[in-house]
Amino acid sequence: MTNKANPLAVMSTEKATGWKLFWKTVLARAYPRVVGQQREKSWIFFDIFLPMLAVSAYVFVYRAIHAPEEYIGFVVVGGAMTAFWMNIMWSMSMQLYWEKEQGNLALYIMAPNSMMAILLGMALGGMLATFLRAIAIILLGSLLFHVQYAIGNFLQLIGVFFAAMTALYGLGMITASLFLLLSREADHLVQLAQEPVYLISGFYFPIRSFNFWIAAAASIIPLTLGLDAMRQLVFPSGALLGFLSVNVELSVLLILCIVFLFGARALLGYMERLAIREGRLTESRR
Amino acid sequence: MVKEQTILSNLAVETESLGRIYKIHGNTKEKNVRKELVALQDVDLHVRQGELFGLLGPNGAGKTTLIKILTTLLAPTSGRARVSGFDVAKEASRVRPLINMVSGGESSGYGLLTVRENLWMFSQFYGLPSKQSYERIDALLKMVGLEDRIHTKSSDLSTGLRQKMNIVRGFLTDPQVLFLDEPTLGLDVGASRDVRNLIRSWLDQDKTRTLLLTTHYMVEADELCDRVAIINHGRVLAFDTPAALKQSLQREALFEIRVSSMNGLNTSALEHLPGVRKAARSEVDGVTALDFSLQEEAALAGVINRLTESNVKIMRLDKHEPTLEDVFVNLVGRSMDEIEKEESDDEQSESTSRDVD
Amino acid sequence: MQNTSRSNRVEIWRSFWVATWLGWQIESNWTQPFLFAIYSIIKPLAGAAILVVMYSVITQGNFNTPIFPYLYYGNAFYQYVAAILTGVSWAVIDDREHYKTLKYMYIAPINIPLYWLGRGVARFLTGSISVLITIAFGVAFLHVPLNLATVNWPLFIVALFIGVSMLAMMGLILASITLLIAHHFFLIGEAVAGALFLLSGAIFPLEVLPAWIRPVGFAVPITYWLELMRRSLIGNVAQAFPTLSRFGNLQLLGILIGLTIVFAIASLFVFRFCDHHAREQSLIDRVTNY
Repeated sequence: MTNKANPLAVMSTEKATGWKLFWKTVLARAYPRVVGQQREKSWIFFDIFLPMLAVSAYVFVYRAIHAPEEYIGFVVVGGAMTAFWMNIMWSMSMQLYWEKEQGNLALYIMAPNSMMAILLGMALGGMLATFLRAIAIILLGSLLFHVQYAIGNFLQLIGVFFAAMTALYGLGMITASLFLLLSREADHLVQLAQEPVYLISGFYFPIRSFNFWIAAAASIIPLTLGLDAMRQLVFPSGALLGFLSVNVELSVLLILCIVFLFGARALLGYMERLAIREGRLTESRR
Repeated sequence: MVKEQTILSNLAVETESLGRIYKIHGNTKEKNVRKELVALQDVDLHVRQGELFGLLGPNGAGKTTLIKILTTLLAPTSGRARVSGFDVAKEASRVRPLINMVSGGESSGYGLLTVRENLWMFSQFYGLPSKQSYERIDALLKMVGLEDRIHTKSSDLSTGLRQKMNIVRGFLTDPQVLFLDEPTLGLDVGASRDVRNLIRSWLDQDKTRTLLLTTHYMVEADELCDRVAIINHGRVLAFDTPAALKQSLQREALFEIRVSSMNGLNTSALEHLPGVRKAARSEVDGVTALDFSLQEEAALAGVINRLTESNVKIMRLDKHEPTLEDVFVNLVGRSMDEIEKEESDDEQSESTSRDVD
Repeated sequence: MQNTSRSNRVEIWRSFWVATWLGWQIESNWTQPFLFAIYSIIKPLAGAAILVVMYSVITQGNFNTPIFPYLYYGNAFYQYVAAILTGVSWAVIDDREHYKTLKYMYIAPINIPLYWLGRGVARFLTGSISVLITIAFGVAFLHVPLNLATVNWPLFIVALFIGVSMLAMMGLILASITLLIAHHFFLIGEAVAGALFLLSGAIFPLEVLPAWIRPVGFAVPITYWLELMRRSLIGNVAQAFPTLSRFGNLQLLGILIGLTIVFAIASLFVFRFCDHHAREQSLIDRVTNY
C-alpha cells in the first residue's frame, strides 16, 4: 500500500502491466475527450447540427434531379458514416500530430504504455460525439426525408458494422503512425483525405457506379464495403445496387480487420523507431 | 568480468562514446544547403545509483539532446547509452517503466482538465492503481504548495504553477531514474527552493533512486548535485564532484577586477600577459568585471600594470574562492553569459546576412 | 488630429499586410511544389466529382440539361465559401492553440479583425486556384458551357469582389465566436460552409427545398452571389431557373451589397461582444486541445 502520509516513500503497490496497462491507458486517454466535450458543448452545434444540414444538401440534389427514393436513403446512411471517417482522420491522426506539437507525444512515448492504446483511447473518447452525429443524421434524416428501411438480418448488419469499424480504426492507426513523421503537411493531408475518400468510397452513391476495378481498389477503405453491405441489408432495393454480396463483403472486411490491426501494430512500432532515429518526436516544425 | 558486471549494475546511467548529429534543413532560401549539427560528441558518463547528477552547460550545449537520448526519445548516431542496465536504443520498452522526465516550460496535459485530472491521466499510463494515484497526487501537490489549485483547470494556471504541476507529474510515478531538464525554469525563488527540497527528500527516501538534472544555473548545480558534468558544444569537458572541480582551480589564484571601462583594451591582450591562464569579461551592475585565473598571485602585478598603462580605472579588486562558474570559464575560456551572448549575436548576424542575400 | 488619423491608417494597413504575409507563409510552403499541385488539383476535383457521379448515375450521363451547369458552377464557386470562412476563423485556433501567438497579436498595436481578414487572404488565393481548376476541368471534359466572348466580365468582377467581401464578413463573425469556444477537432469554417451548402441554392434551386425553409435561403447572401456568378458566366442557362428570375442584375447586386453591409455591421458587434467576453474570461491565451 502507498504510504499516504509520505508520497515520496517507495511505492510497494504493483504497477499494472500487459493488458491491464493497455486498458488503463485506453481509459485514461479517452478521459480528456469525454470530459472536454462535457465542459464545452459548442461541438453539439458545430459537429452534429451543422453536418446534418450539409448531408441534407446532397439529399436535395437527388430530389432536384428526380432520383429514386432509395438514393435518399443512401445519402442519409453515407452521411452518417462520414462521422466515423472524420473521427479517425481528425481525432486520431491529426490529433496525434497536435500532441506532438504540444509536447504530450513525447510523454506518451516515454511511458511504458502502448501507442495503440493511446490511439484507441483517443478514438473511444471521441465516440460519443461521433455516434451522436451518426445517429442524429440517421434519425432526423430518416424522419425528415421519409426514408423506408427493410432490415433483413439484424445480426448480420451489426456484424458488418463492427467489422467495418474495427478495420476502419485499424486503418486509422496506420495513418496516425504516418503522422508521427509529418510536419506541416499533416493538416493538408487530412483535408485532402476527405472528398476523395467520400468519392471513391461511395458515401453518397452506390459504389457499383464505378467500374469493377475502381470499386475493388476503393474497397481497401473499410467504409466502402461496409457502407455497401449495410445498404444492401437495410434498403429494400439495396441488393440490386450492391457491389458484391454481403457475405463476400463481410469476409473481406474481416480480412481487412486482421491486416490493418497487425499492420498498425507493426507500422506504429516502425514509425516510432524511425521518428526516434530522425529526432522527429519532439520537433515542432509548424 | 564479474566485478565489471557488478560495477555496471550499480550504474543508473551509463554512456559510451555517445554522439548525436542532427541534419539541419534550411529554409526556402537555403533549401539546397544541408548542414549537420553535432549536438553530442564522444560523451562518456557514469551516474551511480542514488546520485543526484548535474549536467551543466550553456544553452545549446547538448544537455537536452542527452536527456532525450537517455529517455528513449532520440536515438544516438554513435556510441551507446544504458539506463538501469538497459540499452536505450535496443531495449527502450524495458527502460520506460523505470524512468520519468520533466522539462522546464513544458505545456503538456490538457487545458480543459483540472490539475488532479491531468496528473491522474498520466499516472494511468504507468499503470498506477487509481486509488493510490489520487493519494499520491494530493500529497505531492501539498508538498509543492499547489493543494488549493487541485481542481483548477490547467489552462487557468500561471506558468510557474503549471511547472509545479509538471514536477509533481515526474515524481508521481515513482521512477527509478528521474530526469529533470531545467525544472526550475519559470519558478520564483521560493518555489525553486521548494523543488530543490523535494528533490533531496525524494532521493533520501531510497538510495536506489537516481536523479539527473540539467541546468545552466551554476548555484543550483553547486548546491544540489553530488557530481556535475560540464558540457559545452556537445562535449563533456569535466565531471566530478563540485568540490573537486573547484579544488582543481585552487592551485591557481582567482581575482575579479571591476573597471569603469576598457578603453579599447581587450581580454585576449590580457590573456597574453605572463602568468595569466584565463581572462574573461562580463558586465555586472553596469560595470565591466574582469575575471582572471592566474598561475600565481604575483602575476597580478603585471595585470594591474597593463590596465594602468591603458588608462583603465580600477574600481574594485577581489580575490575569491573558485565557483563552478570559474571552473566553467577555466575549461571553456569564456563565461556562460559570454557564450550565450556570442551565440545570440551570431544568430542575429546570420539572419541579417540572409536577409541581405 | 491629422497625425492620429494617419497613424490609424498605418495601423490598419500594417495589420492587414503583415497578416496577409504571415498567412501566405503558413499556407504556401508546407510541401514540395509537385505535391502542392497534386493537392490543388485532387481536392477540388474530388469534391466536384461527387456531384458529377451522383448526377451521372441518375441521368445516365446526360450532361445537357440546365441543372448540370447550375450545380457545377454553384459547387465550383462555393469553394470560396469554405476557403474564406475557414481561412479567417481557423487563424484564431491556430494562433491560440498551436502557435500560441494570439496573446502577442492582441497586445500589439494592430487591428485584430483586420489581422484575421489578412490571415484569410492566403486561403482565398489557394481557393481561387481550386475554383479555376474545377471550372477548367468541367469546361474541358464535361462540356460545361462557357463562352468567354459572352461572359459579362464587369458583372463577374464586381460580383466576385462583393461576394468575397461578404464571405470575409461572415468569416469575421465566425472568428469572433471561435474566441469563446474550445478547440474541438472540427474546422468551424467548413462546418458552417457545409450547412450553408443546403441553404444557398449552390447545387439545386431553392424551389427544391420545403416551403418552410426557403425564406432562410433568401436571407443568405451567398444565394444572390452564386446567382450573379452564374448569370455573369452563363446568363441564358441561369435564367432557366425561376428562383431569382424576377430580379435583374442590378437588383441582385443591390441586395448582395445590402446584405454584405448588414453582415459587416453584425461582424463588428459580434466581434466586440466576443472580444469583451474573451478578455473577461481569460480565453485569449487558453489552450483547450484534447
